[in-house]
Amino acid sequence: MPRVLLISDTAKPIGDLRAALEDSGHEVVDVVDGVRALLHAVEAHRPDVVIMDVDSPSRDALEQLAMLHRHAPRPVVVFSASGDEQLIRAAVGAGVAAYVVDGLAPARLRPIIQVALARFEQEAQLRQQLEGVQQQLQDRKLIEQAKGLLMEKRGMSERDAYAALRQQAMRQNLKLADVARRILSMAELLG
Amino acid sequence: MSRGPAVLRSLRIGFMPLVDCAPLVVAVRLGLDRRHGLSLQLQRQASWAAVRDRLLSGELDAAHALAGMAYGIDTGIGGPREPMAVLMVLNHNGQAIVLAPGPAHRLREGATLREALDIPRRRPRLAQTFPTGTHAMWLYYWLAAQDVDPLHDVEAVTLPPPEMPAALARGDLLGYCVGEPWAAQAEAQEIGARVIRSGELWPGHPEKVLACRRAFAALEPEAATALTATVLEACRWLDEEPGHRTRAAHWLAEDRAIDLPVEALDKCLLLPEGDQRATRLRFHGDGEVNFPWLSDGRWFLHQFRRWGWLSPDALGDDARLAELHRLDSYRLAALQAGVPLPRGDIRRSVLFDGMRWE
Repeated sequence: MPRVLLISDTAKPIGDLRAALEDSGHEVVDVVDGVRALLHAVEAHRPDVVIMDVDSPSRDALEQLAMLHRHAPRPVVVFSASGDEQLIRAAVGAGVAAYVVDGLAPARLRPIIQVALARFEQEAQLRQQLEGVQQQLQDRKLIEQAKGLLMEKRGMSERDAYAALRQQAMRQNLKLADVARRILSMAELLG
Repeated sequence: MSRGPAVLRSLRIGFMPLVDCAPLVVAVRLGLDRRHGLSLQLQRQASWAAVRDRLLSGELDAAHALAGMAYGIDTGIGGPREPMAVLMVLNHNGQAIVLAPGPAHRLREGATLREALDIPRRRPRLAQTFPTGTHAMWLYYWLAAQDVDPLHDVEAVTLPPPEMPAALARGDLLGYCVGEPWAAQAEAQEIGARVIRSGELWPGHPEKVLACRRAFAALEPEAATALTATVLEACRWLDEEPGHRTRAAHWLAEDRAIDLPVEALDKCLLLPEGDQRATRLRFHGDGEVNFPWLSDGRWFLHQFRRWGWLSPDALGDDARLAELHRLDSYRLAALQAGVPLPRGDIRRSVLFDGMRWE
């Protein structure tokens, strides 16, 4: 049963969703009206989903939680007067998993929350993959640079330079990229 | 330079209700936008997250943004990644760190910051305004310079500025870093004391910037430059004479840009007695304030790396900043507005702990 936290701190009656949510099989852990209660509720209840108005002043507090704690409830369902597809996409990147346009029928809440949870998980996976690929790319660049440095300063062939890096990595039980990073920063220090 | 085309280009500009949104309000009130062929539609926002989402979606063309946010979005820290552009800096200084009376008093009496905050026996809760924002960066830098680890020794939370004084009074917080008028409010209510102004922490630090998506700056260079020239003229007007700031305070109140009485706003915009030129809130300083110095950008990226949010390699930083800081557009706008240009694109800063940065 998805555990839902409602943030009702604007003119939009988010709190009124409570009954409809409970009728459709959700547990509403709390309805809060500001950041103080929000921080407390997240810590105490660890909700799966947060529902709030797009113009809630509490949004930045959630950003901080998401950055600090991996366990923060990232899937956020936001109510907006605008159904702008671009805005929805931008917000989804920020951890908002579903945008709901005003005039929502309570019967639609359940599928929206399910989609939000699923989409959030998918986004998180994609992001992780992307970060992995970028790290690999960065590592490869570093290794190339360190290799180049050894070739230039030590007159090594490319193959020898690579072998030297590998050997150093094995001896020190480090990743190849870490050895490369050390060599580069040392070279910078020594000029 | 007035051109006055028949049709004005309409731009939607987001802002947060803080005194340093003044250049945007002034630009519209003085009709400076029209002289550059623009019509600015100012749209007040409720959170920095909303500013970011609407910039990225294209609902806003440009916005009043925390300097740190532009770099945070460009590098994709804690949220979506999107190439960003800093058109110009809107102001220097004008923020402060506030502590509850107890620790503020102990600090004044000569205690170290660790002692004043009772670390490690306690893990005090301190507030800022956005995870990658300027207030978070000033607060973390100030803590770390005094041997307090901002990521472990304290609990950093993000609060909307208007809620900070009440949270301090309740004891939910031991302190916060924020823009005016929210530090002045704590002193007026005697629930906290300013322990350092941001202008003392880093004299002449960049604070809010005029930011947009890089796509906007690159695809609509004429609109971006016209916008920059418009806001440059507004910044110059704000620094021209104290009377202008009083008028700006009235406009901020009348336009409901900030929900505070004009007296409170005026106090924050006017220069306090005895405040040094280098440390007070400035909007122009003959363009020194507005130039998007590359060295300022390096500082933010360096801090992000210091807190473990960016990979340790700074190799691509200068290439990133060359795209992010729209120096060509700024220079063109400065020529149009008749604002002097510095010779270089980096400057030297000295922070409160003696650290030199360039």
